[in-house]
Amino acid sequence: MFKLLVPVAVLVAVLLAAVLIDRPLPRADFVYIERSEVTTLDLHKASWMHDLRMATNIYEGLVRYDNFTADYRKKPATAESWTVSEDGRTWTFTIRAGAKWSNGQPVRASDFVYSYRRGMLPDMAGDYISMFQLIKGGKAFYDWRAKAQGAFAAESKGRARPAEAEALWKQTLAKFDELVGLKAPDDRTLVMELERPTPYLLEVLAYEVMGPVYPPLVDRFQSIDPTTGMVKYDSGWTKPGVLIGNGPFVLEDWRYKREIRLRKNEHYWDAKNIHFNTISMPSVPDGNAAVLAFQTGAADWLTDVNVAFRGDLVARREAYLEKHKDLVEKLKAQGLDRVEIDRRLPRDEALFLQPMDSFGTYFINFNCLARLPDGRANPLSDARVRRALVMAMDRSNITKNVRRAGEEPATTLIPPRSIGGYESPKGLACAPDPQAIAQAKQLLVEAGYPRGQGLPTLVFLFNKEGGHDLIAQAIKQDWEQNLGVSVSLEQVEIKVFREKLKNGDYMISRGSWFGDYGDPLTFLDLNRTNDGNNDRKYSSARFDALLDEANSRRDPNERLRILSEAERVLMEEDLPLAPVFHYKLLYLFDPWKVSGITPHPRQKQYPFQMNILGDELGPDVPMRMRPALKQGAGGTP
Amino acid sequence: MTALIVRRLIQMPVILLVIYTLTLVLAWKIPGSPLDKGEGRRPPAEVQEAMLRQYNLESFWGFYWSYLDSATGVKYVRESLSGEAAAVEKAAIEAGRTAPVRRVFDLGPSLTDAAWRVDEILLGSLPVSMALGSASILIALAIGLTAGIIGAVKPNSAADFFTLLLSLVGISLPSFVIGTVLLMIFAVWLGVVPAGVYSPKTALLGAFTLSLPYAAYVARLTRLGMIEVLGADYIRTARAKGVSESRVILRHALKNAALPVVSYIGPATAMAMTGSFVIERVFNINGMGQHFVSGVINKDLFLIIGVVMVFSTMLITLNLIVDVLYRWIDPRIE
Repeated sequence: MFKLLVPVAVLVAVLLAAVLIDRPLPRADFVYIERSEVTTLDLHKASWMHDLRMATNIYEGLVRYDNFTADYRKKPATAESWTVSEDGRTWTFTIRAGAKWSNGQPVRASDFVYSYRRGMLPDMAGDYISMFQLIKGGKAFYDWRAKAQGAFAAESKGRARPAEAEALWKQTLAKFDELVGLKAPDDRTLVMELERPTPYLLEVLAYEVMGPVYPPLVDRFQSIDPTTGMVKYDSGWTKPGVLIGNGPFVLEDWRYKREIRLRKNEHYWDAKNIHFNTISMPSVPDGNAAVLAFQTGAADWLTDVNVAFRGDLVARREAYLEKHKDLVEKLKAQGLDRVEIDRRLPRDEALFLQPMDSFGTYFINFNCLARLPDGRANPLSDARVRRALVMAMDRSNITKNVRRAGEEPATTLIPPRSIGGYESPKGLACAPDPQAIAQAKQLLVEAGYPRGQGLPTLVFLFNKEGGHDLIAQAIKQDWEQNLGVSVSLEQVEIKVFREKLKNGDYMISRGSWFGDYGDPLTFLDLNRTNDGNNDRKYSSARFDALLDEANSRRDPNERLRILSEAERVLMEEDLPLAPVFHYKLLYLFDPWKVSGITPHPRQKQYPFQMNILGDELGPDVPMRMRPALKQGAGGTP
Repeated sequence: MTALIVRRLIQMPVILLVIYTLTLVLAWKIPGSPLDKGEGRRPPAEVQEAMLRQYNLESFWGFYWSYLDSATGVKYVRESLSGEAAAVEKAAIEAGRTAPVRRVFDLGPSLTDAAWRVDEILLGSLPVSMALGSASILIALAIGLTAGIIGAVKPNSAADFFTLLLSLVGISLPSFVIGTVLLMIFAVWLGVVPAGVYSPKTALLGAFTLSLPYAAYVARLTRLGMIEVLGADYIRTARAKGVSESRVILRHALKNAALPVVSYIGPATAMAMTGSFVIERVFNINGMGQHFVSGVINKDLFLIIGVVMVFSTMLITLNLIVDVLYRWIDPRIE
């Protein structure tokens, strides 16, 4: 019998050991849950929205978005002030006197030079390389490095050449100093020369990836691959106890797919205005579990409600607002922001659901290539066919009956009212009336496909998951009923989907885009000829010329007007894509308890500005959005 | 016994090599690029090429050998002996930097989660999975043995029927149904365990859910074994000698009846320790099972191979341990 107990004893021992190693920590002052795990804390590799939000906790750039202003102003952050030269090409930033790294060392202007150089390297394979290329010589440096490194790798033929690889790196550093217009004449002065006048520079600099990394730390984890000459960074530098940042919080603990824990950075220049000592972001991949965590009080803020019953939650919220319609109208008249209005209504769980405008659009891609990769002629290369299809689509049906998340049907690519001073074009009507359908039919006749005759079956490609199938079915029905064309649906795995889009191997597909910085280019650039993200393979000399012309203008308003015309060309004439709706993300938080989450149109909500009311940490007074200034929209602080 | 252990240990690398080859062939066939994110921006073409080169993803055989090379430690030894490592170190120090970190067994980075290496991911989740698996097997043994004994002592009684029914439920109801129901009861209605975020209490609930199919199987094995043994001569002799009934059952009968259970427990433990994807998801337990799925979805080659190799090694080792235990418990077995 004793012998039989041995396996049991072994199992008990394993269990005890595991439990002893793995101790849960007490609840943090503020707990928020994102839709997925943070993939990196390396600024120059970050890409996902939740990675970027986490980055704002740990790093701070020169300026930041003021998410408490309705006109999207920028605020000094690590830079305390700046000046612009007469020609708009040279910006001089003064680093804040009290700005410090989390180890107490001062933040120097040269730290930004180091970081931006790192961000420019093709070796980093960063998603936002193009932002760094606004700086003079950024593109030239990037091209030089990519070529030199490629040549080095080819020459090596698999042999290790450590000394030569180091020499190449040295040469790269010298090349940067030679080519790039970014200098730190002293510890507190950063001089940035630009390729061209860029009125929206502050928008870009406020973007999360434009923060600094701590050079002595990152250098310690750098190595040069002796075979390819590539610079590599061991991810060890982003681990707890190692990572040094200059943001409001420091990394205390990070357990993979379990939890990220932050502690207030006592060296942060504005530490007195941080209302939490600890923040935790547990990893909860399952949408239902995340909602449960919120409902049982384990989390204070859920950034993306991703459950099958979200439509019901939205309906419940809308019903509650309808019930208190008069009060809502009265509060609206006082100019209060949406969260602030909710906070003044009788407390009810229905309002814990907060749909927030997000800077993203769901659309349908049309392949604009004259021939499909298999050699067949592509009817969608004709703008008339594309326009007819868009006119026959009922987009309000999709938002109302398919998505059910309170989203706006879209007629433009860029979400309206999301960029200060930018006037969106009208676009085509989002729901077809009989007249529009007649026009659409006429367009098909003109294109040589009367009543859809001669038009091959249109194949609509989308990936599994995410509810794309339902949207595709609704559109298929519209097109078949309204135009008499035949449509077939093709569902593939996400990897296959991406590959097909990249190669232009599709006719029609679902698509989406989230903008980065608050300028129309963040959306419009996708449609430039040969842009790496131009899945539609759309190419229009007129459109490209408009973008170039806008880029040459110094007057911000004039520039925005030209960009608006460019968007009009896309949305009213050429239609390489059909916008379907502008995303809203559904937040869950208790507005009577959590303050600091404002309905910013581009979803800038930072945990370090939040506050739990009544927890005796922080001011315990709700913060609200300030109204827009009369003039100066478009981005001066 | 020693011969058995030595023989198995010699077989192990060969089996692992075959598994590695098969896994890589299959994983390589997953469509799409392992470096593609699925949504959002694409890096420029030249960057994509450079990354493929960096990870040796340009050709199947290139990747096949380079992974074997660095994961088995051959590369480490070779670079140390040939002086290449020393040259790289010297070049780095001359350039004013610290020498790069070298790892003997380099399992590569996760291609999806840039911040983590595969060995870190495995080291982080393996203890969790092992604890979850051990706990569930312990619970399975407790439930299964008890139910089996009750059933065998009074076959065809109401108690027997009831335990059989329970074990049928345990085997046939999928764990996500049982798990969700348990969460509903304990987290939402009773509020005794936190929902959503990880806690030891929730993990225990997960272990219980995971244990049910194993418990059901153990119960059936025990019941059958016991019924057979209880009819044996030596049991009658024991009873005739006046040994108390509980001693007869627990001491004399169970010892022999439990042998099939022991041989089942080995692979079952390996399964429970790694095959808990659904439980991990429902109870938000950060174990290894999820990496099988996410690795394949993202075509994260390093991660796929890493988890498959760990699982295979565990399975082979646990089978060996069971065989050794078996012989030790019952020396008659050859």
